[in-house]
Amino acid sequence: MTKAQQTISIGLLVASLYLVCLLGLVPFPAKIQEELIPVLPFWTIVSFGSYLLFKLGWGVLFFNDVPEAHKELMLQIDQARKELTAKGVDVD
Amino acid sequence: MLDRLVGLAMLAIACTVFLYYTIWTLLMPFVDDDHLLHSFFPPRVWAIRIPVILILLGTAVVGSFLGVVMIQSNRKKAAKAKAAKKA
Repeated sequence: MTKAQQTISIGLLVASLYLVCLLGLVPFPAKIQEELIPVLPFWTIVSFGSYLLFKLGWGVLFFNDVPEAHKELMLQIDQARKELTAKGVDVD
Repeated sequence: MLDRLVGLAMLAIACTVFLYYTIWTLLMPFVDDDHLLHSFFPPRVWAIRIPVILILLGTAVVGSFLGVVMIQSNRKKAAKAKAAKKA
């Protein structure tokens, strides 16, 4: 089973469970059914977005400069550029 | 120094947005209508409208950017093909 198949099947499972709850096929207390269940997808999207932003911010905050890796990377870029231009590939 | 501030700002915004939105959508329905807390939150319809509007705006921006880049790249390719034909 590929990763894509796995993700799609989990997604379908969650979607069908949510659809069952949304259509009123599960007896929830009235308040939960009217107010809580319709907002759940939006809440997951907003929470996922804020989690990603948090992860990005954390990474930016705690990433220290690495000057030797920078030099090495610049050299590798130059080398790749020369090799590719020699073979006729267009590099801007 | 500046990038650490940017990272810290992103952290703060992410936490604030998450807490505010979670309290707004998941907690407010269970709070009595005459409680002080309701004065901090707009009516709950906006808890759905604002993310939908942002998603549509985001899709429009990303789609326009993609379109502009593709048109430019096609133009460059056409110009190059023309130049190669002439030469």
